[in-house]
Amino acid sequence: MGRPLAVWLTLAVLVALMAWPHQGVAAERVYIDITQPNFVRLPIAVPDLQEADSSTQGLGTLLASVVANDLDLSGLFRVLDPKGFLGPEAAPGVTAAEIRFDRWRRGGAEFLVRGRCARSSTGLRTEFRLYDVVAQRLVVGKIYEGRREDARIMAHRFANEILAALTGEAGMFDTQIAFVQAKDGSKEIFLMDIDGENLKRVTGDGSTALSPAWSPDGRQLAYVSYFEGTPRLYAVDLFSGTRRTLCAYAGLNISPAWRPDGEALAVTLSKDGNPDIYLVDRNGRVLQRLAASWAIDVSPSWSPDGTRLAYVSAETGNPQIYVLDVATGKKERLTYHGKYNTAPSWSPKGDWIAYSGMDKGRNNIYIIRPDGSEIRQLTHGEGDNEAPTWSPDGRMIAFSSTRQGGRSAVWVMLYNGEGVKRLTRLPGEQTLPDWSPRIRR
Amino acid sequence: MHKIVNRMLIGAAMGLLILSFSACTKKAVPVQGGVVPSEQMQTEAPGMTSTSRIDEATWQALGLRTEPERRRFLQAMERFENEDIYFEFDSYVLLEEARMILDRKVEFLRRYPKVQVTIEGHCDERGTSEYNLALGERRANSAWQYLVDSGIDPARLSMISYGEERPVATGHDEASWAKNRRAHFVIHF
Repeated sequence: MGRPLAVWLTLAVLVALMAWPHQGVAAERVYIDITQPNFVRLPIAVPDLQEADSSTQGLGTLLASVVANDLDLSGLFRVLDPKGFLGPEAAPGVTAAEIRFDRWRRGGAEFLVRGRCARSSTGLRTEFRLYDVVAQRLVVGKIYEGRREDARIMAHRFANEILAALTGEAGMFDTQIAFVQAKDGSKEIFLMDIDGENLKRVTGDGSTALSPAWSPDGRQLAYVSYFEGTPRLYAVDLFSGTRRTLCAYAGLNISPAWRPDGEALAVTLSKDGNPDIYLVDRNGRVLQRLAASWAIDVSPSWSPDGTRLAYVSAETGNPQIYVLDVATGKKERLTYHGKYNTAPSWSPKGDWIAYSGMDKGRNNIYIIRPDGSEIRQLTHGEGDNEAPTWSPDGRMIAFSSTRQGGRSAVWVMLYNGEGVKRLTRLPGEQTLPDWSPRIRR
Repeated sequence: MHKIVNRMLIGAAMGLLILSFSACTKKAVPVQGGVVPSEQMQTEAPGMTSTSRIDEATWQALGLRTEPERRRFLQAMERFENEDIYFEFDSYVLLEEARMILDRKVEFLRRYPKVQVTIEGHCDERGTSEYNLALGERRANSAWQYLVDSGIDPARLSMISYGEERPVATGHDEASWAKNRRAHFVIHF
């Protein structure tokens, strides 16, 4: 497998800069109530970070653009065009005393990110500060120390801090998305950051690899591959790069889903003649059969507490989403709209199940309450939209879509269907995204 | 769905026409114990029917000793592998046409008892990947069941689903999809 795909970062948060003068207030005040339906994106300015000398040339722009892109992706901010920052407000200085708040205010900003970067003994030292322009004070500040190639992660980390400070819940901008890249007749699994950057190849078998599934600790990816002839399940350790066979039973070994405790997986096997869903341990040994019928049962997705399973069954003659109570074995049909509903993905907060539904020959992304009480269509016939996967904060959904140019790419949107953005711009086609859990990498 | 079937049938009929036309122009092989007259559809591809591509030991194992026997086998094998059975969307029910084709496969497998077969199940691109892997498995299974019910030893048959991963037609229209919703048969010996 070659070199490891991930390494523990030597990135350290050196200092959490003093934030609020009144610490007690900071914990309680939430700037953005994202549950409000009439929420308006907050205007924020993210000018280039200052560079200490020429050794960090270009990094100031890069760091600012990563933060700005994350904030834009979140759907919570309107990032002001940096072209407007050429005036005197862009004067050097990152401390409150140095910043001309009135000028930023006049430029339309309610929040401001300032920072600087410099070479250090570890490679790179960055400092970021978030200011409340209206109140003219520091909200949160951080200093990161790490390797130069960790620059992007430092910026993602600070974007996480911005969300934590303003919404009460940390962002997940330093997570990754695994996906399948189809090119030159083979399919390989890749990882990317959530802005589509920092691409890493996981498999290189020149075969067909499918259905990447992150383990809950973010260390392993389970996936399907044909590289030994038939579709079997494998697990790769992303830190050591070692791969092991998970399930190699006769017939299908597909659609892996780690149980949230990481001790077992729900998978689809056809070893007994029909594609059914089984519970297997970390080594692929069958523990029990979970969902079985005379028809196809496939694509399990766990509820966050691990007590229930959303899955696809065709027992009525066409594929629909069902929910299984694992302890009692009781199953209930969830979807009644349309004749082809597949690829369920239970949200990390447990409040929604996303899936792909076919209507008039087109696949679209829907979300439905786990009790079926509410259903929303998020995409509307722009190409085929499949394989939804939730961000670990439950606010975004990545999916594959053919909406641009007919070739499938990985896209992302907010869970209300807004803020649709394309993530992959690669040759070939990209499908089957799976969003990682929050990882300390 | 009717439309789909009609188009498929028309497509199949046109295929037959083209093939029988080329058979007429290229050569006129007498029907060798043929199940149906279209046995002579085999187009002569140089090399494909050359008996030298299989070594003598394998021929002996297959129990085929004379040159005409061997040539006949290669032609029948080529046809066996080229003739897929087709399915309707999201279905693994065997259509009438598919049953006729499977009957011919049964004939072949009876005549050449040493031959083993892998049945591949395939789907069109419209469904979703994982469901299609399962659907492909069911399609292969439908063909498998038919062959076994017709007396073929299950030990000679194996199955694999490729879902939507290996389309033969890459267009994004019903004509292509219809060609991809298939079971394909591969011989090994």
